[in-house]
Amino acid sequence: MSTEDESFHPLGQEWENELETMLDDTEYDSDLGMQMAEDAMRVTKGELSEADFHEKYHDDVMEEFGVDDRPTEEAYEEAQKNAGGFAEMLKSVDSDGEESRRGMMKKMGAGAAFVGLGAFGASEGGSESEPNVAAAQEGDDTEQDVQWGMAIDLERCDGCLSCVEACAEENNLDRGVNWMYVLDYEDNGVDTSRNRLVRPCQHCTDAPCEKVCPTTARHTRDNDGLVLTDYDVCIGCRYCQVACPYGVNYFQWDEPDITTEDIEAQAQEEMGDHDHDSDVPHDHMSDERGRWVDSRAPRGVMSKCTMCPTRQDGGMGEDAVGTTACEDACPPDAIQFGNMFDDNSDPQTYADNPARGRALSDIDMSVPSADALEDDLDGADDDLESVLEASEDLDEEDLRIMKAIEIVTDDFGEGDDSHTEYEQNIVEAFDALEAHGLDLDSEEVLVGLDLADEPDEDEEFDGPDESAAQTVLVNEAGEPSSNFQLLQDMGTNPNIIYLGNEPGPQAEQVDGPVAYEDVEADLADGSSVPLADNRKEVLDEMTVGDAGVSL
Amino acid sequence: MSTKTPSEDDILRPMHTFTKKYVLLFAIAALALGAFLVGWMYQLQQGMAVTGLSDWGSGGGVTWGLYIGAFIWWVGIAHGGIILSAAVRLLGMDRYMPVARLAEMLTLAGLSAAGFYIMVHMGRPDRMVTSIIGHYHITVNNSPLVWDVTVITAYFVLTATYLGLTLRYDIARLRDDLPSFAPNVGGKQLPDLLAPVYNVLTLGYTKAEDKVIDRMVWWVALAIIIMAPLLLHGGVIPWLFAVLPNYPGWFGGIQGPQFLTIALTSAISGVILLSYAFRRAYDWDHIITDDIFRGLLLWLGFFCLLFLWLQLQQLATGSFHPTTDHADATASKFSHPMYVGPMLMVLGVLVYIFAQTIRPSLFSKGRAIAAGLLVLTATLVEKTYFVLSGFWYPSFSIYDGSPGEYFPSAIELLSLVGTVGMVVLFFLVLSKLVPVVELHAVEHLRGDHGHGHEHDHESVDESAEQPEVEA
Ligand code: SF4
Ligand code: SF4
Repeated sequence: MSTEDESFHPLGQEWENELETMLDDTEYDSDLGMQMAEDAMRVTKGELSEADFHEKYHDDVMEEFGVDDRPTEEAYEEAQKNAGGFAEMLKSVDSDGEESRRGMMKKMGAGAAFVGLGAFGASEGGSESEPNVAAAQEGDDTEQDVQWGMAIDLERCDGCLSCVEACAEENNLDRGVNWMYVLDYEDNGVDTSRNRLVRPCQHCTDAPCEKVCPTTARHTRDNDGLVLTDYDVCIGCRYCQVACPYGVNYFQWDEPDITTEDIEAQAQEEMGDHDHDSDVPHDHMSDERGRWVDSRAPRGVMSKCTMCPTRQDGGMGEDAVGTTACEDACPPDAIQFGNMFDDNSDPQTYADNPARGRALSDIDMSVPSADALEDDLDGADDDLESVLEASEDLDEEDLRIMKAIEIVTDDFGEGDDSHTEYEQNIVEAFDALEAHGLDLDSEEVLVGLDLADEPDEDEEFDGPDESAAQTVLVNEAGEPSSNFQLLQDMGTNPNIIYLGNEPGPQAEQVDGPVAYEDVEADLADGSSVPLADNRKEVLDEMTVGDAGVSL
Repeated sequence: MSTKTPSEDDILRPMHTFTKKYVLLFAIAALALGAFLVGWMYQLQQGMAVTGLSDWGSGGGVTWGLYIGAFIWWVGIAHGGIILSAAVRLLGMDRYMPVARLAEMLTLAGLSAAGFYIMVHMGRPDRMVTSIIGHYHITVNNSPLVWDVTVITAYFVLTATYLGLTLRYDIARLRDDLPSFAPNVGGKQLPDLLAPVYNVLTLGYTKAEDKVIDRMVWWVALAIIIMAPLLLHGGVIPWLFAVLPNYPGWFGGIQGPQFLTIALTSAISGVILLSYAFRRAYDWDHIITDDIFRGLLLWLGFFCLLFLWLQLQQLATGSFHPTTDHADATASKFSHPMYVGPMLMVLGVLVYIFAQTIRPSLFSKGRAIAAGLLVLTATLVEKTYFVLSGFWYPSFSIYDGSPGEYFPSAIELLSLVGTVGMVVLFFLVLSKLVPVVELHAVEHLRGDHGHGHEHDHESVDESAEQPEVEA
């Protein structure tokens, strides 16, 4: 039992605090809840009988929740009538994961949360055995409020393979192990430059690879939904690769080219001076739970795109949280990585309004700094025309787009995703303009920028016209032909949203603008190795008795 | 054609002879297994890259190949074997009693070969126990691979029990005539090493238990007959593939029955070959009679028919108005030699078997053997093609590297020779220890159980001689 921190719960003090906050959010008595949760733990440990527990709290619960609160009462009754008591009841939902557990709580009302929360960590062991401390220590039962994922704008991808290279470098991958893969394709004979697919692992919410794994090596990290492979557990049966409909898995068929020592040395060097979280191991291989899930796989086990857990765990410093190597490397900013549960994250806002996202990313280079604006505007009049004339880096078109972005964006400049930084740059520029005396929300400016209708004589000015702003952005940046998830009918619930053309069932890969062999990755041992498109060609060198023929 | 009346001596003969041929066969089988073990060691040392496999998708290959094809094949033989023997006991098909134990032993041998293939196929076989057992309570809910391991283990235990139960009867009666092995090591005389084995097998045996054992065997047989189609080759083995919607060639409910027919055809073929080998080696013409071969052939024909019928279903549904991914998968079947070849082989066997029922003179043991060999080859090739074709024609077939390339490496091919060697060794050793034909069968043939044995013998003689005249 991990009782050192005086917490009654095997998940520790942190969980307990979280529990308390959660109860605080309900309209019910937190103290009673905490006390009940504590006693619930005692029941699961066998220190308190269930009958006593029910006895002790029945009246309190009835009083607290009242008879009118049907779901609550039902939940409590349900728990009582269940043969094994609530621990058993909770156990029955345990294996279905966090989501359904939360769903159940919602369904049964706050009452269930109230009486049951404390038992979750112990639910595995049931009422007669020790709480499942192992599971608790692994963090199996923590709340998931983050689901990492991406929005990928296929129409902006120029096929340069920078992301593929960055991924290989970040993870020290063998040749042909293309966790990130970019391909051009022909669909029904039509080949346009827009037919391109960027294909990392989709980090599916309902991942078939995880479902079929005979060892739980392939698993979903509870706190952030990353689908990872525990390299210490995997037996290399390759069933995950078979079950994944996207073909994103790469088995480590032989001894990897880069040693773990090289990887660790590189990690020490690169991660050393960051303000990294001290809990996170420093080797770019173990994640915050201490499981070996990051960087290239060792021999005989499975690997695939990880979405950079070391970064997400803060191992590369706070700035790297919420970024991936491929996202950072993409010159046209086609990859947006972030929290899919958060409507204001980069991927969600981008997918929600791609024209806005594109325009924002394009305009960032042209947004003048506040200082430059101040200098330029010194002495100029404060009407729109004079301001535009006086400032060197700001023309009417740029200002129109900047303003249009602001108009269509809720909570402009708030948050900490990378697109919000772009927004903040605009906010600063706007502040400089306002300080100079230009009222950007005035009729003069908005009408002048074609972002509002001029009111009729007897009407009042009714502010910016959102649809006009949107049209400005669409005209500027264009809108993707569609917004899709790959192989949606496979029921995988992928966490990647694509913008652009969806490949049809007859799509066939064709050569892209840049050949894999022409791009070199710099690896941890100091070597520079060209990428390889087809791994089989690399592996054939080791095949015993390779006849050079195929069945 | 020595004696015409089956006797205890007949079934004890394998244990009392030791011929040059035996030694030679033993040496060849051991060499085959040894050669593969060396290959496997090399694979363990170098990694799976020594195979012809690669990743499907951009990896340009297939991730499962001959190892898995051969795995299914051996499990099929094993499962079919046990179904055959259970049918004999359950349905009172006394005619096949002399080969029932061979079928049971084939099951154990086949399951061992299949289990071995699982190990050989893994990237990290050293973790099998810790990783699978350690998370069993979680993975058993979802992973078809875990179901497979579970069911294969369960069946191994069940079959071993079954065999052990029926062996008690024989060993208790034949104990005095069973071999002993008391080697003299460096001038020191060791006690009989086999005696403890027999003693354990017959622990607490009394004649009174025969009836009880009979009933137990009957119930176990019932369990096998029910569970085999539901769980084994009609269940968890096909489900490894049939539950994955991303491979049109695999997905769907037909794989259960389809796999079952493959199991039965290959198991009957295996029993035909085994029976023939034992009959020849130990002059058992009067025990494993031509009549048995004729009967087995007929069953083989029946299951070949089912096999082709279910293939036909898939060809029809895959080509009438298929979805794009299905169309590719089915089109490949019409043209790929690894599919067309096996179909023609099975069809040929079917035609022959039906022809020889109409004109009995067409029967010969040589042809029966050929039919068995053809079917075994066909099922191995078809199953391997089945595995490969999944990766060749996935739903998401956008990759340039798909269909991927594959040719089994020397080590993979050697695994076939090695596992056949392993199974042969299994029989060579076992036949020196226990009777491979049950005492019951001999008693039955003799008419000890009150059957009209005069008549039986005539037909035995006839059928034994007839084909030689014709052939
Ligand atoms: S894409 Fe989905 S199924 Fe495939 S490996 Fe990633 S999480 Fe698993
Ligand atoms: S290869 Fe490893 S991760 Fe994949 S299914 Fe097998 S054990 Fe699980």
